[in-house]
Amino acid sequence: MKPKKITIDPVTRVEGHGKVTIQLNSKGKVENAYFHVVEFRGFEKFIQGHPYWEVPIIVQRLCGICPVSHHLAAAKAIDQLVGVDPENLSPTATKLRKLLHYGQIFQSHALHFFYLASPDLLFGIDAPAEKRNIVAVAAENKELAKKGILMRKFGQEIIYALSGKKIHGSLAVPGGVHKTFTNEERDYFLDGKQIPNIDTMISWAKEVVDFIKSYHLENSEWLDNFASYPSNHLSLVDRNTGALELYDGNLRSIDYEGNELLNIEDIDYRNNFKEAVERWSYMKFPYMTKYGREKGWNRVGPLARLNTCSHITTPLAETERQLFKVQTKNKPNNMTMHTHWARLIELLHCAENIKELLLDDDIMGTDLIRKGTPRKKGIGVIEAPRGTLIHEYHIDDKGLITKCNLIVSTTHNNEALNRGVRTVAQSLLNDTLEITEPMLNQIEMAIRAYDPCLSCATHALGQMPLIVQLEDNQGNLIHEKIR
Amino acid sequence: MKKLDNTLIIGIGNNTRQDDGLGWGFIELLENYGFNTEHLLCKYQLMVEDAELISNYKNVIFVDACKSELKKGFTIEPILATEQVTFSTHEVPPNQILHLCESIYNKKPIATLIKIQGYNWDFEIQLSEQAKTNLNNAFYYFLNKSLSLQTK
Repeated sequence: MKPKKITIDPVTRVEGHGKVTIQLNSKGKVENAYFHVVEFRGFEKFIQGHPYWEVPIIVQRLCGICPVSHHLAAAKAIDQLVGVDPENLSPTATKLRKLLHYGQIFQSHALHFFYLASPDLLFGIDAPAEKRNIVAVAAENKELAKKGILMRKFGQEIIYALSGKKIHGSLAVPGGVHKTFTNEERDYFLDGKQIPNIDTMISWAKEVVDFIKSYHLENSEWLDNFASYPSNHLSLVDRNTGALELYDGNLRSIDYEGNELLNIEDIDYRNNFKEAVERWSYMKFPYMTKYGREKGWNRVGPLARLNTCSHITTPLAETERQLFKVQTKNKPNNMTMHTHWARLIELLHCAENIKELLLDDDIMGTDLIRKGTPRKKGIGVIEAPRGTLIHEYHIDDKGLITKCNLIVSTTHNNEALNRGVRTVAQSLLNDTLEITEPMLNQIEMAIRAYDPCLSCATHALGQMPLIVQLEDNQGNLIHEKIR
Repeated sequence: MKKLDNTLIIGIGNNTRQDDGLGWGFIELLENYGFNTEHLLCKYQLMVEDAELISNYKNVIFVDACKSELKKGFTIEPILATEQVTFSTHEVPPNQILHLCESIYNKKPIATLIKIQGYNWDFEIQLSEQAKTNLNNAFYYFLNKSLSLQTK
């Protein structure tokens, strides 16, 4: 038998556009699996020549799902261009940016759980494709769907209040923020008169954490084993305490057993990371320089963050983190599907943090912008919903961007995504060449656990079919299936 | 301030992807023409929560770029709710949003889809010349039609 190639293009329910190719050897066994990505095509080039103060606005166009993350990462980098480091920002500016950040992560995590993950969890991997979607969830669980919508809306409203728009508004300016919070805005989120208030959000977030715990009790075998494999884990942590930190901190990496591999200032990433390229993907493969391409790659995102941090500063989420850690006897958790669980603990953490910030009078302060000695290079690192996000900019004497480098969360997870696909493909496709719906869904499910944001494919009408292709080793099309 | 009664208009797209910005361009023209911005919205893509948003309106108009060839460069057509789902939930089509609106909120806004043909889709903040022409044609056709409806 000739070696064959199975292609799934594009991956469903993932932000943007991707393609999976599974290559079989002459015996019909899985030889390799690749997750191809066409992401940020030309964006780093596109930004060159723009004045630096435009950057936090423009980079939001990278993504319709997490524009705020790009806005804040860019803002942190641009702060340095005007000579302001994170610790020199005013308390008001820092807290308003954090409020924006938590609002973004809250709505993004809610989006992922209710819209992308819940169909898989509620209907199972063998359910037909027409059932594994939010429309079916809404039909059978109207109240759950309504809660999902209102949680996402709450996060969007936080973003709207701070930045003026639900997508690509603007809060951060070089060295701070351009607006403060008002009493009226604060009351809107606290009093529950117009929208369910923050206490309701905390309560609902707790409910979904309880849901995933119960779900795990009933489905532990596949949740623990599906697409699981050992890996390193990377995220920001609090510089002083090692606590979960989403806005600013040290970059910490541990291996699959919990040994510390790296603990560096975030702006020092250049000296500690390299990016490899592969001919079959536009997306690079970052790795820690001293451990090399093979051993130095990391997972990032909710699971990684709960592995690398020492604790969580908010009480309800910390209680849940401790219960989560019991699953692995306090060792790092390498179970891919537990990413959903970790994401919901972070959802709760964000809700608690939003409440804390809403009750903090600093958010209504008037010390908004700081200045320092201008520099030619700025690096901004934050934890976006999907993981560590790095923006780096260089400018010339006129303040125009001369160089830009972005490492987005999904890029960090590139190797992990490939491993996940390969692990699942090897377990499913070794004995048969027939591609069934449940098989396709399981491969996609391994990818969705990372919530990859392939971002900003042109979303013009009528251009996104699901195509499954079977090709021989010469690239000749044997079979094609369009869903 | 001009106003369309109980009508929400949503431009879908991304103006840094050349002609993918047609939906937003349509909204910009409405703003420039003096329409009340409160009921005009630019979005990258429709999301499930838009079901709740449109449940508050009697009429909703979606405007999006289209890669397929359109005889006049644009079409304006009514759309109905449908149970049929596409494979991707990150890009929920208008008729699914309508269906969700009906099933969750028991509301049935009258929906219209304006498709405008685009040609170029790379990273650039600039509509192609032909797309601009299509946009203007679609806009003035819509304007005449909506104003004549209002005067009836």
